Amino acid sequence: MKLYLELIILLPLFGALINALCGRHLPRRLSEWLACAAIGGSFAAALAAFSSYSSPVRIEIASWLADFDFSAPLALYLDPLSLSLTLMITFVCGLIHLYSVAYMAEDPCYVRYFALLNLFVAAMLLLVLAENLPLLYMGWEGVGFCSYALIGFWYKEVKNADAGRKAFIVTRVGDVAFGIAIVWLFMLCSTESIVDLNSMGGSIPPWKLTAIGLLLLFGAAGKSAQAPLMVWLPDAMAGPTPVSAQIHAATMVTAGVYLLMRLFPLICLSPTVLAAIAITGTLTALYGASCALVQRDLKRVLAYSTISQIGFMMLGVGAGGITAATFHLLIHAFFKALLFLAAGCVITAMHHEQDIYRMGGLRKTAPLTFYGFLAGALCLAGFPLTGGFFSKDGILTAVWEQGGTLYSALYTIGLLTAYITALYTFRTLLLVFGGDCRSEHKTAPVPPLMNFILLPLALVALAGGLLNLPTVFGSGLLSGFLAPLIVGPVIDPSHSTELALLLASSAAAFTGIGLAWLRYGGGRRQLRLNEAEQPLGGLSAFLFHGWYLDDLYALLFIHPFIRLSQFFWKRVDEQVIDGSMDRFAGLLGRWGMLLGSLTCGRVSLYLLSFAAGAALLVGWLAWLMFSAGGG
Amino acid sequence: MNDSLLLTTLLFFPLIGGLLLIPFLGRPVLARQIALAVGTVELLLASFCWLSATAPPPAGAPAGFFLFSSRDWIPDFGVRLILGMDGISLLLVILTALVTLVAMLVSWRSITKRVALHYLLLLVMETGIIGVFLSLDLFLFYLFWEVMLIPMFFLIGIWGHGRNIYSAVKFFLFTLAGSLLMLLAIIGIYLLHGDQTGCYSFALNELVKTTLPYSTSLWLYSAFLLAFAVKFPLLPLHTWLPDAHTDAPTAGSVILAGLLLKTGAYGLIRFGYPLFPEAARACGPLLMTLAVVGILYASWVAYAQTDMKRLIAYSSIAHMGFVALGIAVWRPVALSGALLQMVNHGLTTTALFALVGMLDERAHSREIAVFGGLWGKIPRFSFFLLFFAMASAGMPGLNNFVGEFLILAGSFRITPLSACLAFLGIILPLVYTVRFLQEVLFQTERQPLLLADINWREGGFLGLLALADIYLGLHPEPLLAMVRLPVALLIGVVP
Repeated sequence: MKLYLELIILLPLFGALINALCGRHLPRRLSEWLACAAIGGSFAAALAAFSSYSSPVRIEIASWLADFDFSAPLALYLDPLSLSLTLMITFVCGLIHLYSVAYMAEDPCYVRYFALLNLFVAAMLLLVLAENLPLLYMGWEGVGFCSYALIGFWYKEVKNADAGRKAFIVTRVGDVAFGIAIVWLFMLCSTESIVDLNSMGGSIPPWKLTAIGLLLLFGAAGKSAQAPLMVWLPDAMAGPTPVSAQIHAATMVTAGVYLLMRLFPLICLSPTVLAAIAITGTLTALYGASCALVQRDLKRVLAYSTISQIGFMMLGVGAGGITAATFHLLIHAFFKALLFLAAGCVITAMHHEQDIYRMGGLRKTAPLTFYGFLAGALCLAGFPLTGGFFSKDGILTAVWEQGGTLYSALYTIGLLTAYITALYTFRTLLLVFGGDCRSEHKTAPVPPLMNFILLPLALVALAGGLLNLPTVFGSGLLSGFLAPLIVGPVIDPSHSTELALLLASSAAAFTGIGLAWLRYGGGRRQLRLNEAEQPLGGLSAFLFHGWYLDDLYALLFIHPFIRLSQFFWKRVDEQVIDGSMDRFAGLLGRWGMLLGSLTCGRVSLYLLSFAAGAALLVGWLAWLMFSAGGG
Repeated sequence: MNDSLLLTTLLFFPLIGGLLLIPFLGRPVLARQIALAVGTVELLLASFCWLSATAPPPAGAPAGFFLFSSRDWIPDFGVRLILGMDGISLLLVILTALVTLVAMLVSWRSITKRVALHYLLLLVMETGIIGVFLSLDLFLFYLFWEVMLIPMFFLIGIWGHGRNIYSAVKFFLFTLAGSLLMLLAIIGIYLLHGDQTGCYSFALNELVKTTLPYSTSLWLYSAFLLAFAVKFPLLPLHTWLPDAHTDAPTAGSVILAGLLLKTGAYGLIRFGYPLFPEAARACGPLLMTLAVVGILYASWVAYAQTDMKRLIAYSSIAHMGFVALGIAVWRPVALSGALLQMVNHGLTTTALFALVGMLDERAHSREIAVFGGLWGKIPRFSFFLLFFAMASAGMPGLNNFVGEFLILAGSFRITPLSACLAFLGIILPLVYTVRFLQEVLFQTERQPLLLADINWREGGFLGLLALADIYLGLHPEPLLAMVRLPVALLIGVVP
């Protein structure tokens, strides 16, 4: 088992190292093959670990940070949660690596690309398998770095470099909260091991637990693009499309959710924290879905939809539905990677055009891509019996079962969001694939490898529901597998409730799809295209610009930061602090000149001062003598 | 006896090597090679001391010291040549030898006038710095403290550029003002101790036994603290640093940031706290405040910089703020972290200054606004710049993170507020670092520059430093083990 776990992480790491150090001197095919084989090997090792898995294992590889009472070894922890994520990550990333070979075929910088992609997988697996929080943080920052470097992969354009920088900094803002939570937990529990921490929640005073939970939530919000730190994800689409699929849809962005699930036994002790997580998730889900409704850039639609779907996962965690949240995390990784990869095919076919209003007719010219995208869209929209339908419904069921005013309200918003999701998904589908080809150019051929990769993902996404069917239809495989993780009461709704909720979800999906057809289907399409020529107004503009959050943050944080940095440097540092030192030095200098002017060579002045000094000295001695004598 | 030979050789070998250069003042190539050989042997000697670390402590040595030598020097005043090495000294001595070697290598081509003199000064300075790290006699300590100052003054003054005379004098006056007060305090405690015991001595392990009235110890400690705070540098005594760095030659910047800044922290740990424990504890909150304000303020100011060397200079102030915080809380984990951070900052900043120096050598500019799109032109250089900038920004898995994290984990227990504010200090470095990287490495080139990528000499030592960064980031245990005993003894806990 130890060997498998080490291989899972080390293979991608070695892949990255070899490509980084000598990839330039290898033949192109070999370099690409190495990168894919590294992930493939990692997947094989994960499968082997899965087949020989019996109970949670903790494996220490080496010491890392150990000093006095502080200890954080390089140790890995495998339990159902980390195992299921490891399988998903190696599977999806392996396919995306293969896809990248075709997608990046024209790019001369493939060595850097594959090295970073491999390094990312290693860091992500470290994050998932870490046994203690500092090690998890290492993976956490590692994926952040790779994300930064890959978003700005085409660094020559300012826009791309800016987007990478923004992603890095905004997530780092969340990391501060996460970091504080890490050292605070150490102070309270004298351990950093996740398993130990999870069992020690009871000994922490409630208010501190709540504060730590909120800090963790803020940290998770940074990585997982949740309110209020979600602004980086839409811009992150500047990176190559497979990168968006791998990092900004399937794996890294769900790290925040994973963190909260990992520490769930700890944070579930505070109802405030759970409510905060659920509210954050719901609001973000609504935010993402509403923005996705009016986007014109295909990848930005998908980015906002990712924000929204991760909001659903957060809602699931907040409602205590760990199984449901994990289920949605896995299924979402499949179908969102599928959608992004299909979008990559679309963008290739459209000669790097990303505006959905300039697309059309791809159903006929790129049928394979169409079916792939359709499968993903059905899942995203929650079309009954697809994987996405069951996973989203699981979360809504968990919320419903919580009861109470808050959770009922959240359920309603969640259902509304599900409806909006179906609407924007099919709006995109109809605009991209419906109608006739609008582009002046002929569509470019899509490399067969790219289309072929869509197939396994589509199958897994569509049939993913089988992983965890609602109890009405039998038992959930995943629920059984994840059962050891559940703390507190198991969510076990009655069959009638379950059926009613399934029907409600289906109704939301059908309404959304129907409305999308009414607005964008058939002949209405041309009306919408004409409308799109007009400038956006009112609500549409508000949603299009992501509620103007970027402008708000620029006004509140970025501009003051830059102005203050100038102020501190020019005014405070140079004028006040350094200036006062210089003035002090100048003062000393002038005194020196003054005193120096006494030694001007006039003997009479010297004699005079000599006499005066001598008189003073004699006088002082006399005074000392008399006062001593008098005493 | 063996100990004393080893320590004396270690201390004076660079000085003797430097003096050997005098006959070669007119022959730059030979002088360079001799200096490099001396520097290499010194690094080997320093590393050799690592082997002694496990040996049983010599007789008469204070606890924790595995190499110790004590002999009379000026008996009339009780001045003795007391040298000792414990884990803390060992790490810093190795760092000194390594950084000096790098400083020699970075100035291989860029120094063209008075080459031999340049290397002579570097070697004299090496002896001065190693002397500071080895002396256990306050008189000796003061002597070396001043010895390391003078070569730096000339380095900036002779080979610097820009307003180099101004910067050199400023550097000299700031540090001298601090150290003269320290000299007064040293004489003060020497006299007080002599009055109390009748035995006049500058030896540290004698002077720690002095019983001082609280107010006196506060005054004496303040004088020490002032001298160390200038070297650190702590706010608001930091303004000499950006000027000195900007106008110094690359080797000067490397030694200044890599080594001289560490002497202040070292002095505080070795002399400040043990001599005046109550006063030091009482000044702890002040030190913490200055440290945290320094971290945030310096990082913030760094963002506005347009000159790369100034940017790294301000980032050094911020990083040394972490060290100050780790010392100020005076707890085992935080202090170990601070010591580790001193080594880590030394390695990373050395590399960064060396890289900027290489760019300066090629393009004759350090203005950020001149460069752009270097990644496509000089990829190896760009890779190293990205690597060390990330290490400096505290990327886990690389060295700086380890020190900073231990400092924060250790200080949170004592002063949660300071630690939380210092945590904010891990965003700001990222902000100025990625801005700097983006403008220099990415985007498109702003001026057509013909640049050569790094050569074998440069790649060699950068690669070595990079490996050290990774090793210390993933396996700091040997270093932590080395300082564990001294730290425990200093603070008075069980190791």
